[in-house]
Amino acid sequence: MASEDILTLKTSPSPRVLPRIPSIVLWIGAVALAWLVLAHFYRDTMSTLWAWAPLLAGGLRMNVLISVLAIAIGTVLGAIVGALELSRGRWIGAPAKAYVQVFRNAPILVLIFFATYVFPFEIRFGSTYLPFPDWIKATIGLALPASAHIAEIFRGAILSITSAQWEASASLGLSRSQTLRWVILPQCVKRVLPPWMNLYAMITMSTTLASLVGVTELLESAKNATNTVNRTDFTIIIYLAVLTLFFLYCYPITRFTARLERKYAFH
Amino acid sequence: MSESWLPAFVAAARSVGLNYGFLLNAFERAAWIDGVVVSIELSALGIVSSLIVGMVIAAALTSGRPYLDRPARAFVELVRNTPTLVQIFCAFFVVNMLISQALGGPQNNPLTAYAWVVIVLSLHYGAYHAEALRAGIEAVPRAMRESAVSLGFSRREILTHVELPLAVRFAWPSLVNNMVDLVKATSLGSAIAVGEVTYASLMIWVNGDNVLELMIFILLVYAALTLLVAGLGTLVENRLRMPGYGQ
Repeated sequence: MASEDILTLKTSPSPRVLPRIPSIVLWIGAVALAWLVLAHFYRDTMSTLWAWAPLLAGGLRMNVLISVLAIAIGTVLGAIVGALELSRGRWIGAPAKAYVQVFRNAPILVLIFFATYVFPFEIRFGSTYLPFPDWIKATIGLALPASAHIAEIFRGAILSITSAQWEASASLGLSRSQTLRWVILPQCVKRVLPPWMNLYAMITMSTTLASLVGVTELLESAKNATNTVNRTDFTIIIYLAVLTLFFLYCYPITRFTARLERKYAFH
Repeated sequence: MSESWLPAFVAAARSVGLNYGFLLNAFERAAWIDGVVVSIELSALGIVSSLIVGMVIAAALTSGRPYLDRPARAFVELVRNTPTLVQIFCAFFVVNMLISQALGGPQNNPLTAYAWVVIVLSLHYGAYHAEALRAGIEAVPRAMRESAVSLGFSRREILTHVELPLAVRFAWPSLVNNMVDLVKATSLGSAIAVGEVTYASLMIWVNGDNVLELMIFILLVYAALTLLVAGLGTLVENRLRMPGYGQ
C-alpha cells in the first residue's frame, strides 16, 4: 500500500464525476427499494399488513400527538425553569437546579411509570368527574424530562452570549428588557433550535415507552397485530414496518438539525 | 446481612406516611436486591461491550474503504434514528424467534432475554460511541499521522497505536455521557421481563400500594449508578490526561 494513500485519505476526496446526491434522498430511495423487494417476495404478507394499516396509522398518530404535546409542555416549563436557574436568589435557583438534575438523570421509562401510577385515573371538578387517560399521563411523564433538558438548553444559550453584547446594547441606550428582546433572544433562537430539534427526535422515539403502560401507540398496535395474526412472516414484516416508520419520521429531523448546526457553527 | 436496623427504618418511614413494608418480607426483599444486582450487571456488561463495538465501528467509519464505511454509516444512522425499545422488540421478538426456529425450538436457543438486552444496548450505544470516536480520530493532528507513516507504521498500526489512543482521550467526555445513558437504558429490560430493578419493583408494587415508595428507591439506585459511572469517568479522564492536551 502506498504511503501517500494513507496521508491523502481524509484530506482530499477523489474528484466527483457525478453531482452529489443528498444522503437523505439516498436513504429514502434505499428504504423504498427494500420495501419493493419485500413486497415482491411476500405478496401475501403485504396484503395482511395492508389490512392492519389503518390500525398502525392510528397508532402512529398517537405517537405524534404525544410527542408534540410533550415537547410543547416541556418547552414552556423548561423556559420557566431555565430562567429560574439563572436567578441569583438562592431560594429560587437551587430548587430549579435540583428539578433539572432529578428529571434529567432519571430513566424516562421510570418517569412514565411514575406519572401513570401516581396520578389518579380521573379528576373531580365539583360533581363532575373528568377522565385522566393513560396517554395524557404518559405525555406528562415525557414532558418532565423534556422540560429539564430544555431548561439546560435555554440556560446554556443565554450564558453563551458574551457580556459584551449586553454592554454594547447598554451603550446604545437600550434598556435591559429591550436588550433581551432585540439582541439576546434572537441569538438564542439560533443556538437553541438544533438541540431543541434533537430533543424532539429523542422524545418522539421515547413515545414508544408509552406502550409499556398500555397506551395503544404504534408499537403496541404492532404487538397486538402480531398476537392476533400469529404468523412468523407477518411478525417480521410488521416490526420492520415500525422501524421504517420511525426512521422516516426521525431521520429528516436529524439531517436538518445537522445542517442547521453547520450553518450556525461560527456565528 | 444484619437486619436489626430494617424494622427501625420501616417504622420510621411509616411514621412519615411511607410504606416500606416489603423490606420486611424476605422474599420481596431478596427479589428487589436481585434486581439491583442485575441492573449493575447489565450496566457493566453493556459499557464494556459497547466500547468494543464502538471501536470496531469507528475503525470501519474512518477506514476510507467504501465497502466498510458505507455499511457502518448505514448502521449508525439506523440505530440513532429508531427507538431503542423498537430495537429491543425487533431483536427479541423477530431475530430471537428466527434463531429459535432455525435451532428447532426455543429450548435449544442459548440466547435469553438478558443476553438480548446486553446485545441490543451494546450495539445501540456502540453506534453512539463510534460517532464520538470518529470525531476524535478526525481531530488527531495530521502531523501525527504523517510521522507515523514516516516511521513505517501500517494503516492498522496507525489506528491502534496512534489514532485510537488519542481519539479515546478526545472523545472521553462524550463516551462517559453515552455510558450514563446506557445505565438509564437498562430499565428497558423490564419490557421483555428481564428482572432488573425497574421490573423487580413493578412486581412488588402490583401486590401492594407502594408505588411512590419504590419509585424513590428506583430513582436513588439510578442516581447512585449514574453518579458512579460519571465519577469513574472523571477518574479515568485524569489518569489518561497527557501533558500538552487539555487544560
